[in-house]
Amino acid sequence: MTNSMNNNVAEILEKAKKLFDVRVEDIAERQHKLIAENDKTIPLLAFLKESGYSHLSILTCIDWIEEKRFELVYILFNWSNGVTLLVSTFIDRDKPVFYTVKDMWPTAEYYERDVHEFFGVEFEGNERCRLPLFLELWNDLPPLRKDFDPLKFSKEHFPDREYEKDAIHEAKIIRADLEDTRGDING
Amino acid sequence: MDERSVWEKIADQLRSRSMWMLHYCTGCGAVELPPSMTSRFDMERLGMGPMATPRQADILLITGYLSVKTLRRVIYTYEKMADPKYVIGFGSCTINGGIYFDSYSTINRLDYYLPVDLYIAGCMPRPEAILNAFNTLMEMIRKGEANGWKRYKENYEWYKQNQLRSLGEVIVHDEFHE
Amino acid sequence: MTGLATAGRVAGVLFTAFFFGLTFEGIGRKITARIQKRYGPPWYQNFIDVFKTLTKHGWTHGWIFDFGVLMALGGVIATLSFVPLGNLVAFPGLDNFFVIAYLFTVGALGMAMGMVGTGNPWASIGVARALTLMLGYEVPYLIVITTLLFYYKTGNISSIIEAQAQAGEWNIVKFPIGALVALISLQGMLGKEPFEAPIAPAEIASGPMVELSAKYMGLLMLMNTFMEFIEISLFVDFFLGGGTFFVFLLKYFIVWTFAVMVSAVLPRFRIEQAVAFYWTVPILLAFLQAFFVVNGWVF
Repeated sequence: MTNSMNNNVAEILEKAKKLFDVRVEDIAERQHKLIAENDKTIPLLAFLKESGYSHLSILTCIDWIEEKRFELVYILFNWSNGVTLLVSTFIDRDKPVFYTVKDMWPTAEYYERDVHEFFGVEFEGNERCRLPLFLELWNDLPPLRKDFDPLKFSKEHFPDREYEKDAIHEAKIIRADLEDTRGDING
Repeated sequence: MDERSVWEKIADQLRSRSMWMLHYCTGCGAVELPPSMTSRFDMERLGMGPMATPRQADILLITGYLSVKTLRRVIYTYEKMADPKYVIGFGSCTINGGIYFDSYSTINRLDYYLPVDLYIAGCMPRPEAILNAFNTLMEMIRKGEANGWKRYKENYEWYKQNQLRSLGEVIVHDEFHE
Repeated sequence: MTGLATAGRVAGVLFTAFFFGLTFEGIGRKITARIQKRYGPPWYQNFIDVFKTLTKHGWTHGWIFDFGVLMALGGVIATLSFVPLGNLVAFPGLDNFFVIAYLFTVGALGMAMGMVGTGNPWASIGVARALTLMLGYEVPYLIVITTLLFYYKTGNISSIIEAQAQAGEWNIVKFPIGALVALISLQGMLGKEPFEAPIAPAEIASGPMVELSAKYMGLLMLMNTFMEFIEISLFVDFFLGGGTFFVFLLKYFIVWTFAVMVSAVLPRFRIEQAVAFYWTVPILLAFLQAFFVVNGWVF
């Protein structure tokens, strides 16, 4: 049983390598990462959906700011053998545009809106992409980009409580006292 | 405080003995309430109980962090409640932002937007702290010190200005309501 | 002089319903708390609750809402003054079951009208559920009560109480199946579990009461107390033989405690499950009882 299942996974990975020339990284026993070229990602996803990986767990995005690119990750799950496949592709950070998969997975519409809102990635074909989902009336950089400074934003928009006492300074004094007394006891 | 008439004093006695609570548990902290309601601490013996709607509630208990999106709804909820009404901020996040002090979407202090009568410090406060806070609030109501709802009316302009500064607009616009 | 005496009796009935209704509700909360191993609120908690709501500053939702609330409370008070509390009868000779059944709808309709007048969708859902549930419990209940009226050949409740006293046995012994059906229907009338769907606090935010603030809430709580008083009083009069005023209160307390204890341990039916239940088991039992009575098989 396990053997046949593993064979099945290996077979699909072989096929994916051959047809879509993906790079495969084994993460764990039942997790494999498939890194695909930009234009071959959608056909690869369609192929995997046909082969049993029919559940799109999530679509998410990673900001590789030094390499100037975004990594889009589609996490697919197979309910019959419990194998998770991560399909990842890289897109340009300065012009972040990709294609929608909402025709394959209707739920992807919301994941795409999520990614658009937090990273600014456009999804061609998803016309509801620009509607606000979590952040209402947002007019700054997308907040999960690495060049966005949340502390600065928070200081500008959400006033802090001003403490009359400098708690850290006082704690240092108290601690110094403690060390002195401890010194006394030890000495 | 001495401005209260005799009727107001009697009414405050009644209000302190029957407090209905609307808990707005958007963040963490909701899990501390079941022990304080059920057999371990039994809030009902003090005349307190959960209420389902803001119209009937006396206390607005805000647990944990408040994101900008929920703050809009909380302001709606607060303004729907009938006077006199009391607000309790629960946990560090309502006091100074807690561990979310630098977040792009959570506010840092609640009393800037709504008149808070009492804060419960801690991350998370234990049920003992909650019951202690309710006892303190009862004491405050009896003495006529829990005047948050009056402060909100008197300083309405200031509160509105603060709300607008952080939220941009208080009115909720989303695809499900339009 | 008779007018004054009648006014006194009505005041007595209303005061009894107000004081003992709220007290028994408080005791009911205490019993529920003890079943759940809690300490529970004091017995006078419901008085504090009602008076506190009257001190708050609420909102109206238009004249139809005001009128609905007043109609609900007024209708229930009017109904209550016709219900015999054992031997305390406000209008002797007029305590007919049909008068009560007729007036009872005024309160229910007033509540439905006022609550729908708030415009809140939860309120509409709650009212719709309450009326649907009413469709469920009223049919078996009315079959049983009609059977009873057929057996005694009178619609006068005092006469039925007297007949029970003369026969020396209560109707609960004479009509055990009918009493069981009435008890099940009573649970639905009181809105207690498992027939609590109309006011489900967690799913539809206490249903009809969702927009009630301050004084309106207090008035509706009073109305609810009076309604419970009417429903349980009718059961006590019809099946437990009424009795003198204090005996009546004792019987009332026992029935109320039983209902509270049942509701404390049961979960909730969905509305369609509740109606389906009422229209299978209790309605068949009610027909069985009617069949026995019509054939004269009553002992």
